Amino acid sequence: LCRGGLAERLCRLQNRERSAISFWRHQCLSDDKIPSDKSGVLIVRILEIFEECTIQVAICQQLLQSPATLSPEDAVINAEEPVLKVLFTRETAAHLKSRPQDVIHIYPPWQKLLLQNADVPVIMNTYFSQKVLRSEHSEAREKTYGLTKMLIRKNIISLAQTFRLDDVDDKLHQEPSDNQVPCAPQAHNNVDSKQHPLAASAVNDSLLEMVESQGAVGWREVQVQVVIQRVYCLPAREGYRSHTQGNKRLCAAPVTNSDPPNVRLCLLVQDAYGMFSEVQLQSLSSTDDIEQYCRRWEGKSCCLAGMKILQRTTRGRALGLFSLIDSLWPPVVPVKVPGQSQDSEMMTTNLPPPSFCYILTVQSGEIHMKVDEEEQISNLYQPPAVHGLKEILRIDGCNGRCSFWAQVLYQRLQTKHSVPIDQREMLLFVTDSTLQNVAHGIPKVVAVSVTASCVLSMEIMEALSAGSQLVFFKDALWGNGRIICVERTVLLLQKPLLCSAAGADLSELTGPVRLDELDSTTQASSICALRGTVVGVNESTAFSWPTCNRCGNGKLELCPQDRELLYCNQCSEVVTTPVLKMQLEVFLSCPSRSQSTVKVKVWHEIRAALFVLLTMLLFLQTYEVQSVLGKEVGLLNCYVHSIASHPNCVVLEEIVLL
Amino acid sequence: STLPAVAEELLREIKKAFQETSQVPDDLLLGLNFIFGPSAVPALDLVDQRSVTRLRSPSGRILYQVLGSSGKLYTCYSSCHFCTCPAFGFSVLQKSESLLCKHILAVYLSQALGACQELAVSEEQLSNILLAEEEDEG
Repeated sequence: LCRGGLAERLCRLQNRERSAISFWRHQCLSDDKIPSDKSGVLIVRILEIFEECTIQVAICQQLLQSPATLSPEDAVINAEEPVLKVLFTRETAAHLKSRPQDVIHIYPPWQKLLLQNADVPVIMNTYFSQKVLRSEHSEAREKTYGLTKMLIRKNIISLAQTFRLDDVDDKLHQEPSDNQVPCAPQAHNNVDSKQHPLAASAVNDSLLEMVESQGAVGWREVQVQVVIQRVYCLPAREGYRSHTQGNKRLCAAPVTNSDPPNVRLCLLVQDAYGMFSEVQLQSLSSTDDIEQYCRRWEGKSCCLAGMKILQRTTRGRALGLFSLIDSLWPPVVPVKVPGQSQDSEMMTTNLPPPSFCYILTVQSGEIHMKVDEEEQISNLYQPPAVHGLKEILRIDGCNGRCSFWAQVLYQRLQTKHSVPIDQREMLLFVTDSTLQNVAHGIPKVVAVSVTASCVLSMEIMEALSAGSQLVFFKDALWGNGRIICVERTVLLLQKPLLCSAAGADLSELTGPVRLDELDSTTQASSICALRGTVVGVNESTAFSWPTCNRCGNGKLELCPQDRELLYCNQCSEVVTTPVLKMQLEVFLSCPSRSQSTVKVKVWHEIRAALFVLLTMLLFLQTYEVQSVLGKEVGLLNCYVHSIASHPNCVVLEEIVLL
Repeated sequence: STLPAVAEELLREIKKAFQETSQVPDDLLLGLNFIFGPSAVPALDLVDQRSVTRLRSPSGRILYQVLGSSGKLYTCYSSCHFCTCPAFGFSVLQKSESLLCKHILAVYLSQALGACQELAVSEEQLSNILLAEEEDEG
């Protein structure tokens, strides 16, 4: 042990204490008096006992007089008497063999400790304790007690309950103390969760400083001023369920989903030093309008306070986030350089793009964020650069973010409709004037794939189902010749207020939309137009079936009660007016792609209920292959299912554009 | 549960007393002895020898390392009570006989007495320390 150290001192004190205890115990055995009038002796009656980590905790009542001096009638528990928590070491407890209702004398030196948030004082250092035996039946009772072992409840202490050594009240007066930052929720945190108003504390302009000061005294009051570069929604991981399998057909009615969509509103902010951070705010409900938030908040300054660091992520781990950050780099105005006095020239370009980014989140449900919506757009704001689709298709490289304004012609869901709205993947076929007005060389229509991680608002979904829409795609990802909407891409119905890029063409399309004609360059999963002559009919595919007029379910069943009626188990109702669908595969000879066998599934719907059966009969009766051969077909809009080279075959399906 | 609140208050009083008088009074030392039993003296010894180091990474993650009497370096977490020493595994986890091991107590005492050595490390270094512990046990 170190000379003069604390350990040596305690050792000495310990030895002294030990001899005092053994001396006292020895004295007790020989000396049987009742010392109730001596000052300093604590007299307690045990009410309850439990154990924590070998320390015995006894909830006791403090008695003013030893009960031995009182008559049995007076020895009633008085509820007014103060309650104490008396701690005994394992050794003392074994010596005492206490039971509830036992009276203990505790001789000095004992210690009293007052806890901060508790009313009940704690008595420690109770080595010099002695049980008081009642005069009558005392010996007999002791013997009985000695035989029956009392079971004492043992409290297991959680490891999550750590100790906080700083005094909440003294926080402002002390220097930043060496306290721990508890991560798990604890009882002690109640004091800190009261809301700190964003009052006149100094406003910082560095995110890095705020992050680094986490855990130090007063960090919750530190405010950082940042510019909101982008507003978007991210799917919350917990709500991310895997795709369910099913064979349900596409239907028009929205699926009633009782689970709230787990989507969080997020901001990408940038501070005066050019550093970015993603701030995850509250969960949005499906009725909240992301478009409103974008419009009100993008480009404005805002003050953040009391943020919690969720993660520090790097370029290699968060490609999506960094592709967005790269699209905002370099900053459009000079940024400050940390560590240098800001009077000197500020460096702007030649700064390398950021390699790390902090993801912040809100503390315990409170939003410490204030956006000054009235203020002007900040100079640091970089609005999305809008380009025509023609330009985007020409971009070299990949994983770049691009924004464009386009007309959606056709929507095709990739997954079954039984999957909730927030987990579908779909293809949107879009076009704009830059593609439509070109003679040839580039496709007229581009397929944009929308992954499940791209959050679409209900508004957009409904608009897309209703008809052809002009949609602003903000920060879609371009790579490998495809445009994808992923996390952090936002689809909006309104044109952006601000956009950069001279070539931006936000004009509406004039004239009808034209699709590329089927030819040798046509790819699978695209849409095209075709014309040709019927050269064959796949008779085995001639099929007609009733579908539900409400949801389009093609697998209707016979009603169990009345086998004349049809029943839809998706709507759980009888279908009184089924829609008759008929389909047929025809082989066409198309001059534009003369080498291939072109097989098109054409279909037809008949909705007039009364005539359904009649029509079915007619169809079956009058159908003759001969009457169809040689007929000219065109211009048919189709979706290309597959293209095979050996044999050279194109399989398509007739579609209706929005 | 009572004991953690008592232990915490005791440590706070030690800190306050030390800040006011640069000394720890005898009764608080005896209080440590009462509550923590046989861990108290060894923990104070570790503090006397300045065996506790606080490692801090740029993101704010904190870890403690305590140089044990045998020369082995043990790691203590800051967000919960955990130590890589065998005594912790036995007395605290398995038997629930102690609240802390002497290393964790030494960490708290070093905090209270301002006796922590400070070390700034990178994120990778911190992660490596944590991973190294896993390898040892595996």
